[in-house]
Order: sequence, then C-alpha cells, then structure tokens
Amino acid sequence: MALPLTYNFRNLLVRRLSTSLTFFVVTVVVAVLCVLLSFAAGIRASLRASGWPQNVLVLKTGATAESTSIIYPDEAGRIVQTPGIATDSSGQLLLSPELCVQTSVPRIGPDGTPANVAIRGVDRVAFDVHPEVKLIEGRLFEDGAQEVIVGVQARDRYQNLHVGGEVMLGRSTNRVFKVVGVFEAAGGALESEIWSGRTMIADAHNFRFVSSIAVRLEDPARAEEAIRYIKGPAVRMNARTEVDYYDDLSTKTRQIVLLTSILIGIMSVGAIFAVANTMYASVDSRRREIAMLRTIGFSRRSIVTSFLVESLLITLTACLVGIAVSLSVDGSRQDFLSDTTWTVLAYELRVTPEIILSALGLSTLVGLFGGLAPAVRASRTRIIEALRKA
Amino acid sequence: MKLALPLRLIYLYRNLTRNPLRSGLTSAAVALPIMIYVLSMAVVDGFENFLDNSARQLRLAVTQRTSIINPLPEGHRRKIEALDPEKTRLISVCGLRYIGGQRENDPMPLSTLAVDHDTFIASFPEHQLTDEEVDAWLRNKQAIMVGRGTAREMGWKVGDRITIFPSVPPYKLIEFQIVSTLENAQDFVTNWCRRDYLEEELKKYGAPSGNVTFFFVKCASREDLDHFRGAIDAQFAGSLDETRTLDEKTFMNEFVTQQFNLPRNLTILAALTVFVAVMAATNTMSMNFRDRTNEVATLKSLGFGSAFAFSLIQTESLLLCAVGGLVGASVPFVLFTYTPIRNITIPLIQTLEIAPSTCIKAVGMALLIGIVAALWPAWLAVRMKVVSALRSLE
Repeated sequence: MALPLTYNFRNLLVRRLSTSLTFFVVTVVVAVLCVLLSFAAGIRASLRASGWPQNVLVLKTGATAESTSIIYPDEAGRIVQTPGIATDSSGQLLLSPELCVQTSVPRIGPDGTPANVAIRGVDRVAFDVHPEVKLIEGRLFEDGAQEVIVGVQARDRYQNLHVGGEVMLGRSTNRVFKVVGVFEAAGGALESEIWSGRTMIADAHNFRFVSSIAVRLEDPARAEEAIRYIKGPAVRMNARTEVDYYDDLSTKTRQIVLLTSILIGIMSVGAIFAVANTMYASVDSRRREIAMLRTIGFSRRSIVTSFLVESLLITLTACLVGIAVSLSVDGSRQDFLSDTTWTVLAYELRVTPEIILSALGLSTLVGLFGGLAPAVRASRTRIIEALRKA
Repeated sequence: MKLALPLRLIYLYRNLTRNPLRSGLTSAAVALPIMIYVLSMAVVDGFENFLDNSARQLRLAVTQRTSIINPLPEGHRRKIEALDPEKTRLISVCGLRYIGGQRENDPMPLSTLAVDHDTFIASFPEHQLTDEEVDAWLRNKQAIMVGRGTAREMGWKVGDRITIFPSVPPYKLIEFQIVSTLENAQDFVTNWCRRDYLEEELKKYGAPSGNVTFFFVKCASREDLDHFRGAIDAQFAGSLDETRTLDEKTFMNEFVTQQFNLPRNLTILAALTVFVAVMAATNTMSMNFRDRTNEVATLKSLGFGSAFAFSLIQTESLLLCAVGGLVGASVPFVLFTYTPIRNITIPLIQTLEIAPSTCIKAVGMALLIGIVAALWPAWLAVRMKVVSALRSLE
C-alpha cells in the first residue's frame, strides 16, 4: 500500500521555511550548473556545426591555426594533384585558397570593448567548398570592390556590421569596407567572421600569400588518402579534415566542463546535506505519525518510498525552477578569444536538452542521497515506543 | 537571571551535541560553499596578483593597431628609442616575435618567444638571471632560456641542445642550446630565444624577416609610462604601421577578460555559494529553535531574559558556522600548500596560492553567515510569548 502524493505535498507545506530554504539551495545549484554548462554547449554547438568531413584544411606544417599559417603561391600549386578533389559543373577543382587576417571591432554593449574579429579573403569557389555559407540578407561582395559580407553572429555581437555599415580593414586600418550582405553558416564558427574578396584583402594588407587552402573531396572516405598525399613528399604541408580542426579548437570547452563538474560536485554535496538536514527534521517531528501509519498497515517500504518522494518533490521542483532561471540566459550572446587562432568566436549560450537532463539527473541524485538516510530512519521507528509517547 | 560562563559553555556544548547529525550536516553544508569561496577567491587573487605584478614592471606593450597578430617592422625600435636618447626615462625597448612551436613529433604546443637579446635583460629584470646565465645568453646565438615548468616536463637541463619546430615561418626545425631554466622567474612556462638567430634562419629560407609581434618598453617611472604611452602612438600615427600602446597590466587584462572573464565569473560564483551557505545554515537554526521552543519558554519563565535567549541561539549558530568555516578554509589551504596538488598549474597565474588572508576572510564570512542565519530564529525567541509557548508544553 502506498501513501498518496498529497500527503507528502502537505507535509512539505507544514515546514514552509525549512522546505523553501532547501528549495532555494537546490535551485541555485541547478541554475549555476545549467548556466556554466550553457557556455560550453554554446561553443561546442558552434564548433561542431563547423566543417565538413569531406573538406580537408591545408595549413603550413607547424602552423597550429590559419592565422599563423603562410602558404606561398608555388606551394599552393602543389595541392592540385591531390587525389579525390571534387569538381564543380564546369570542371573547376573545388580548392579554396583563403587569406585570414583580423581587425579590431568594438562589441555591441555599454563598454564596447574591442574584439579581434577574423576576416577571411576568399574567391568565388569558397561558396562551393563551404556550401553551408548562405546569404540571408543583401548581396555578395563584388570583385574588386571594397565590400564585405558578415556572418550573422558577428553582425549581432559587434558594432556597425549590419548591411550598410562600414568596417575598417587593412594593414593600417585605413581602408573602408562596406557591409553589403549577411550570411549564415549552419550555426558554425564561420558565422563569427567577415568575408571579402581575397585579392582585396591581400592588397589591403600587402600580403602575397594565403593562410590556408580548403579542399573539398568527392567523398569523405577519401579524406585519409588525400591527407596522406598532402603530408607526403609531393606537397609537404599539414592537412586535417575540417571536422578534426574544429574539434581541436573546442579543447577549451572540455576545460569548462571539467571545472563545472568539480564546482557542481562540491555544491551538490552541500545541497545533499541541506536536504538530509530538512528530511531528518521532518522524520524526527513525525515519529508518532509514522508509528501510526505503520500500525494501520503501511509497510516499511512504503514509508521509505514516501520520504524519498517527499525529498524528490523538493529537489525536482527546485530543479525545474533552476532550469527556468537558467533559461533566461539561453540565447544571449557571448564571445571568447581563442588562444589558438587569436580571433573571437561569437556564440549563443545554449541550455540544451542534455543540460536539462543532467540537471534533472543531478537533482534526482541530490533528492535520493539526501532523503535516503532519513527515510530509512523513519522506517525503523519503533512503533510501540513512539505510540507510547502519544 | 544570568548563567555563569562555565555553565553556559556546558549548556552550549550539550545543545550542539544533542543532535550531532544535524550539527554535523549544518557545519558541512557551510564548509563546502566556504571551500568553493576560498578556491574561487584564490583564483581571482591569483589573477589580480598577476596583473599587479605586470603593473609593477613599468612596461608598455606596443602592438600593431589593427590586431595583436599583425607584425610590426623591427625598425620601430629605433624610432621608439629615439623618443629618449639619454635613456633616463625610457630604459629599454625589446622586440618580441611569437614562435610558439613544438618538438618534432610531439603535438604539445610550446610557448616560445624570440626577443632582442641586447635589451631583454634590462626589459625583463624579474627573471633574475645569474651572471653566468647572462654571459651565456649574450655569447651564444643559439641560446634559449626555458621555463622551469616546461624544462621539467620535457626533461631539459642547462647545456642541452634541443630542436623546436616553430608555428610560424620559417617552419623548419631550429636548433637551440639551453643556457637557463629560469629558476627564479615568475613565469615558468615561456621559453625565450634570440631574435637575431631567428632572423638568420628566416633569411636562410627566404621567409619574410625583420618583423616583430610586439615591443615591450621599460620605463623609469609611472609618469614616464603615461607619457610614452601617448608619445609612441603619436610617433607612428599616419604611418603604414600604426601602433596601439597599452601599459602591461591593461594589455594582459584584455586577454584575461576575453577568455571567459574568469575573475568576474568566479566572483559571481563565490557570491552564490555564500548565499547557498546562508540558506543551509538558516534552515538548521530555524529547525533547532522550533525543536526547542518549549525549552526556551521554560528558560524565559525561570527568569532568563530575552537577551539570554537571543545570545543562546546566536552563539550556537556562530559556533556551527565557525566550525564549517574553519574546515572549509583549512582543507583547500592544506591541500594547496602541503600536498602534491599545489603543483597543479593554471594559465597565467601559475600555481594556486591560498593566502592566509583569504582563509581568514572566509572564516569571517562563515561567522557572518552564522549571525545572519540565526537572526530570524533568535528574534522569534526574543518575541516569544512565554504563556502561549508553555501552554503547548508536552
């Protein structure tokens, strides 16, 4: 025979202060968990959405990121023999030489601190190599014009990057480029960038090289073969699939997750103590009631279950409120400076279903661990003794 | 009516041990947030010390105006030096070029900078080099000074010949000879090599040379720092390579705030955990009081005043939180001072040092939590109507 849920609910209301204090403790722990993890989830979502398994990113051997890689035209020419390169309808190889530079753009917001935003100079072929890049507003830059298109994340995070806005580029930051379009890239890292014609960027910076070459293959299964060729004696450059490249960049998120786990671990133990404390008090003040329940036929198991349900009621409702609080940051924009590329990645905080599940899991654990010992104590109440005091 | 101190202490002790489980849980529920508070504040203090240390060096960081990555011509050094030919206010100018690098067939990234060897010693006196080290550095073009942490990790020692594959041009293995493992430097990760040697290598392979990533300018005083910050940028205004000059503290702070702004976020976290501790402690104190309503009523009816009831509950709460605070502060202190955990390195701030002042602050915080947590129950005790409380006496 199980005790009705309303019994537990009403019991919680009897000790309003104690219940609500414990409730707040769990709410804060859950909210902190969700917010901290939403940083990592936002960055990871952005980097995971970046890159294709059939795209191979070629950098100079030794360079860890596009920003420190310098590939000269004669070296770039050696790539064309790579096996498995896809072609477009006109038979042109899908090889995209790209020049990556940066410029300083103030962030939107009261402080307007400058951010190091990535600028990518590309040829038309880049749009076939990165088919996820799609214009959502305005038009493409014209060849030979000082025009740029901007990623949607960059537009929303940095100042004056809307269509019609202007951005200063070039070695001396003295060339005015007009924003003529906005693009999205399936939520990926490219959305934090500004794109323009490669020749215009090369000219503005007086650079005679490219930073990287993105190679699109016919089939992702040939990536290994292509990488081996590029690393081999014929080309002697560093190659990775784009997916691997972006995966490496997300190392930082693993550190956030680790730090979050340690902090939340400690906080959760604190929350378990708080729940246990409340539940012990609840058990102690209800000895006679429990004895009575046992007398009228409720088993030990149903007493244990009842107390566990009570502690779970606190932690799970607190969890829901904690999640609701953390949802207020969902979608807010942040950016972080990668210490590999030295450019900023703009991203949205994401309270993902996985985070919500882990919050629910954590509060279930806190409820169970906090409630178990008091529940067992309740079930061991000596009936006669407790009733004698009545 | 007053209770003599020894009796009072006995009463207090009995009260706290009456429900040892509850007392233990409360102290633990305070100790854990205090532990997070101590750790968070230690990291925040670490960053502040790092930045203050940068400020003490009286150095300016000169970068390319558009982006920190864009190079500056090495010729800028002479033009900056020309701002104070007597070198009384502007002590030295050191050009640095980022190399990064890694060992051959080892993906672990290294932090290596090529610097102007002639001005490096004067610009970075905090490395505290010995005369022999300075001598070897100046004599040997292949000299490299490696961070002691890096040296330990790689198994390097003074005199070793090592090869590093740079992350920047010429992208060819370069050979160095270690002249110091920087035993007294604060930074124990970065390796420093000579830029004239790198230039030779760059020229050998036809790679672009004559550039630096940034200059560090050592000034004589704080006033000079302010003066030259403007003067350097003015010097290059309108040129092809304009500069952005910041004092070293601001320069470093830009990195810190752009990488998750750890100091700010940890401070928020510390505040939240203290809030959690207040909740947990208030919970227990109110339960304690509720359990003993009758007892307090009896005491009051015997003639003990409201002040006694108030102080009774406050002292109990203070003691519980003090125990929690002491445990919460001393565990991280002991772990990060006396156990191998102290060797864990954190970027920029190096090792986590838990200052006794942080621990004292944390214990103070715990006492404050104790006072706040007991305010409401203690107030209830003061206002308690004895007659109605005794009426429900069991």
